[in-house]
Amino acid sequence: MTLTATSFDWVRALVHKESAIVLQPGKEYLVEARLLPMARERGLPDVSHFVETVRHRPDPDSTRRIVEALTTNETSWFRDGDPFTALTSTVMPALLAARGPNERLQIWSAACSSGQEPYTIAMLLQDSLPNATSRVSITATDLSREMVARTRAGRFSQLEINRGLPAPMLVRHFTRAGNEWEVAAPLRRMVTASECNLAAPLPRMGPFDVVYLRNVLIYFDLPTKQTILRRVRELMRPDSWLFLGAAETTLGVDDSWERVVVGRSSAYRPLKGK
Amino acid sequence: MRALVIDDSKVMRRIVAGILEGLGYEVQQAGHGREGLDVLAGGWVPELVCVDWNMPVMDGLQFVSAVRSNPTWRHVTIMMVTSESEHGQIVRALAAGAHEYVIKPFTADAIRDKLALLGLLPQDVVR
Amino acid sequence: MNEFHDTGERRRSSDTPLLITDLIDEETVRSIAQEAWSALIGDDEFLVPLPGGPPDDAVSSWVDVVGPWTGTVVLTCSRATAEELARCLLAEHAPPVLDAEDVHDALGELANVVGGNVKAVLPGPSALGLPELGSIPAAGPPADTCRVDLLWRGRSLTITVQGSAGAVHITPENNPQKNEVPL
Repeated sequence: MTLTATSFDWVRALVHKESAIVLQPGKEYLVEARLLPMARERGLPDVSHFVETVRHRPDPDSTRRIVEALTTNETSWFRDGDPFTALTSTVMPALLAARGPNERLQIWSAACSSGQEPYTIAMLLQDSLPNATSRVSITATDLSREMVARTRAGRFSQLEINRGLPAPMLVRHFTRAGNEWEVAAPLRRMVTASECNLAAPLPRMGPFDVVYLRNVLIYFDLPTKQTILRRVRELMRPDSWLFLGAAETTLGVDDSWERVVVGRSSAYRPLKGK
Repeated sequence: MRALVIDDSKVMRRIVAGILEGLGYEVQQAGHGREGLDVLAGGWVPELVCVDWNMPVMDGLQFVSAVRSNPTWRHVTIMMVTSESEHGQIVRALAAGAHEYVIKPFTADAIRDKLALLGLLPQDVVR
Repeated sequence: MNEFHDTGERRRSSDTPLLITDLIDEETVRSIAQEAWSALIGDDEFLVPLPGGPPDDAVSSWVDVVGPWTGTVVLTCSRATAEELARCLLAEHAPPVLDAEDVHDALGELANVVGGNVKAVLPGPSALGLPELGSIPAAGPPADTCRVDLLWRGRSLTITVQGSAGAVHITPENNPQKNEVPL
């Protein structure tokens, strides 16, 4: 049985409520594909049966897993490109003007996954900034040990390379390593990767000039979001910049940030005196 | 927006064309570079061409060079979609005038990501 | 698994022809094929490294690689498996009735995708031929053959990367059309 309209609408409403992500009509196939493993796990014949079961007797574990399955995208390079454009067009020029010539800028990629975000940042800086490698350091953290190890290795499969990495950047910054691609050594040296649970007290790091905390807050309830934003802010410099995911905001969560429009993107800056 | 898909595999043409049509493109297909040039010369000049590399009669690299040598087609964006995946081959394709490069195997998401980079994603497509 | 890491030393120090077993191992070939299956056949499609016995009514597609190492990348399965692969590959773009041409085309394209990525792992530059289709080609010399036996949905599927010495193909038209990439 294919997904019924009632099942699909219930899933859409759930995902929207939990993540603010909107599943457009026509995304039935996505729901079918992403939820099939969970249906099979329970011995149910198809996704409709699974959704109907959860709909009639919702339990927090199942609803959380449904939302995660539908909101976790394969990481891509330049994911929602605007926050990266903002980095080179506005943020870096402002920071370079404000800092001394020998001051090292510190950037934090706070949910680095397999490394696409920190290396996207590293490539952009390398291409736009003389002596980027000595001028900027990038801290990449993730909850998952495996993801940290993958970020450190800087190796990507063919399928990962295909996901939004501009071809001119591929040929400039990567070499073939067997059937994978490896990031050039200078870029790997710019990036330091370590484990970090954002929902727990943070390790001593920073102070950071730019923080990318994207598509993380959506997974947490309001009090946790507030705690995370407060702790992140404590690691940031007064004139620093925070980038959140496209569906995320500090508005209505934590009023100690100022939202500023940067090009087609939004950034958040610590409000003075808060 | 319009796209021309050039591949000697009919199956692959249908897959790429299907993805592009799903994104809102009007698509024509050609089986090799020469056929592709004929489509352009016939006046159907699309915003985007997706072209395979290894094909009979005229390969993708020759097609790219031919399109780039004609100034009336300079606004056509060319994306190679091919299993040729050596570093040097990608460099050659870009040097010949291709804008982007998708390595086979690819997913529909990979095509969409590249179109987003190129600013060629029809506006009404919401992720 | 082959532990030998090619450094190029061999090629510089002697004229001994390159052997595929020194250039690529079974796991690399399997992972290349797995990526092709995940992307093109379906997210949850796995190639399990288990021999499934020779298929009845086998059909092969292959692409030639010409370069520092010259040989052929061959994909072999039963006709029924080839049909199922074609259906999965086309998915929602499949016509109501698949004809033989679609099935051949699909199997050829899979050989092209696996072959192109195998080629990229080998020392280059090399040229890739166009996909061809026919009955199982003669086995290459064992020392110059990397063979991977796989199961897909319980059906047997074999990929061999074999040196040219033994690779004599019989194509339906006996007309191996080639398109060499200018190097």
